[in-house]
Amino acid sequence: MIRPIAALDRRTVVKAGAALGLAQIAAPFVISARGETPIRIGVDNPLTGTYAAPGKNENTGMLLAVDQLNAKNGILGRKIELQIEDSTSGDAGAAVQKARKLIERDNVDFLVGNVNSALAQAMAQVSNEKGVLHIVPGGHTDGITGVNCKWNVFRVCNTTRMEANSICPLLFSTYGKKWHFITPDYAFGHTLYEGCEANLKKLGGTVTGNELTPLGITDFSAYLIKARAANPDVLLVLVQGNDMVNCLKQISQFGIDKQIHVAGTQQELEPVEAMPPEARVGIWMFEWYWKQPGNTPGLDQFIADVRKRSDGKVPTARTWFGYVTIHAYALACEKAKTIEAKAVAKALADLEMPPEIKMQPNKVYFRGGDHQLMLSAFIGELMHKGDGDPENLFKVNHIVAGDSVAPPVSETGCTMQMPA
Amino acid sequence: MLQLTFFNVTNGLIIGAFYALMAIGLSLILNLSGVINFAHGGFLVIGGYLAYTLRPYIGFWGALLVAPFLTALIGLAVERLLIRRMYGRDPLYSLLLTFGLAFIIEDATRQMWGANGLPFSVPEALTSPLSSEFFFITGYRMFMVAMVAIVVAILFVLLRYTRIGVRIRAGTLDLETVSALGVNVRALRSLNFAVGIFLAGLAGVLAAGQIGLEPTMGDGLLMPSFIAIIVGGVGSLTGTLLGGLLIGVASGLTAVVFPSASEAVIFVMMALVLLVRPRGLLGEEGMMT
Repeated sequence: MIRPIAALDRRTVVKAGAALGLAQIAAPFVISARGETPIRIGVDNPLTGTYAAPGKNENTGMLLAVDQLNAKNGILGRKIELQIEDSTSGDAGAAVQKARKLIERDNVDFLVGNVNSALAQAMAQVSNEKGVLHIVPGGHTDGITGVNCKWNVFRVCNTTRMEANSICPLLFSTYGKKWHFITPDYAFGHTLYEGCEANLKKLGGTVTGNELTPLGITDFSAYLIKARAANPDVLLVLVQGNDMVNCLKQISQFGIDKQIHVAGTQQELEPVEAMPPEARVGIWMFEWYWKQPGNTPGLDQFIADVRKRSDGKVPTARTWFGYVTIHAYALACEKAKTIEAKAVAKALADLEMPPEIKMQPNKVYFRGGDHQLMLSAFIGELMHKGDGDPENLFKVNHIVAGDSVAPPVSETGCTMQMPA
Repeated sequence: MLQLTFFNVTNGLIIGAFYALMAIGLSLILNLSGVINFAHGGFLVIGGYLAYTLRPYIGFWGALLVAPFLTALIGLAVERLLIRRMYGRDPLYSLLLTFGLAFIIEDATRQMWGANGLPFSVPEALTSPLSSEFFFITGYRMFMVAMVAIVVAILFVLLRYTRIGVRIRAGTLDLETVSALGVNVRALRSLNFAVGIFLAGLAGVLAAGQIGLEPTMGDGLLMPSFIAIIVGGVGSLTGTLLGGLLIGVASGLTAVVFPSASEAVIFVMMALVLLVRPRGLLGEEGMMT
């Protein structure tokens, strides 16, 4: 039997129908002209890979802020829409591609990201090229508000220099003058080490060694053997994330914390929650912490709101970074009375965060000269078990103002080029 | 300096024993089925997380026993549903399949247990080091080495003296003839895969005590396993064991003189082996054809 050439059989029709149906869902929604189009915020942060945990926590903070603002009529009477993309944890190409997609195809008015500072810098090139306002919530490399500072880019979290300056004097006076370092072998680690070394030299101490560890290494025993042999007063663990968990676990299993003081600079609740109790040792600084001495306006409500969105868990510094990012943008837009990028950037510079947003003592503001947020450093000690509270893993002893430890703008290398 | 070197060689052997455990499982699967299992690290992660979930009910020792078996069962299901379709094809197909599977396992783990790491302590009885001087030889690490030694010994005995073991070894050399002799090759392959995955699951439980338990923990352990196979010789389990120990020691020694290269050195070793003796130290020529 000869089939007609143009026969349309049932299967083809079904396939075509399915494809058509899928195309409806897959294609971006086209919003037809309405009175007020929403303000679109593009989030390009890791949702997979090694930085998935901090990335998701930052997103939680952002989503909370967006819901709060939308409940009060959004920004300048316009609702806010958050468009979230996965930048991956380490693929700069993917992060840049997503940033371009958010700006060019989705027409976002404001870009947010990235946890990975290398990705943040790559994205900053794109946002600067396109003239879109960009806040980096949690990427730490100094260059973002230093040599690579840009008129449209602002940063919430600390620079590595701020971190080193905030805690080194205390470590020196508490523990002694011979320091050994375990440093992750990439930009963040190097600049953090340089900051600590500079502080140590100024105070009159010595470096007994600096172990450069490859990112993602699981076994620190070889480095700990060397550190122990050097016999320092204190071992500074500068690695972060999963590396921090592995290193501290092994330090406590080897009993090194019983022979040498263990400390560091930046510590985060995400890795601490992943550590068994015996590994929670040392003096560290957190960039924000949920349990603070005294009475902090807005804090209890913030904790309660975050618990609802995170299966009962407390907010971390990352949650706060995301939260501040969105609220800072909203405040700047309201101040500038527009969402136009240059005007918002001008309004954001030197803008002070109100008490219920900053949720900490000391003045918190974006410094005009380099667009770096002057946030406080929460210095204290990790606890094996909470003080009766199993969620409280860190005892805050001092809260140091950001602008007292940040190097002056002239020393950051930032020469801000404002647009015409 | 001498003491530092001695310490690092000893330490390297401990690390190498762990790489060998992963690598042997991988090698088993590669030899008989010709499957390059990029999802091996994913099964390690599953083993670790299952142990974490079971531990409140059956304790650490119970979890150590049960989790690898459960992981092997999951591996069996994966083999029957997915891997089986790749037999007889270019190894590239199985590589692509298992590569994709690795991502699926990672994200599924993240969905089920959350993106953040989970705390997993070693039992009290195993925490103390041998002495203040040999602090890096902890009870737990000795236990890990002992477990690896026992499991490898059992595996070698099984492969040498049991009928199934002989069939697996024969199948590695000539599966067609083994099939023609009336052996159920499908079941043999499934069992072999399950044993390989059992070893990955066991490695996962052991790893969870030593490093952070989180969805990407298998990534850093997979590459050294492949390199152990290449260095030791594809097709030779003894070679794989030797390869694992060698790269562990090389990594440890490099950390003494050039710390930032301690990971890169195992790749250098692999390159050297491929240039000078491509079949590996104990591999037989033509094993991969």
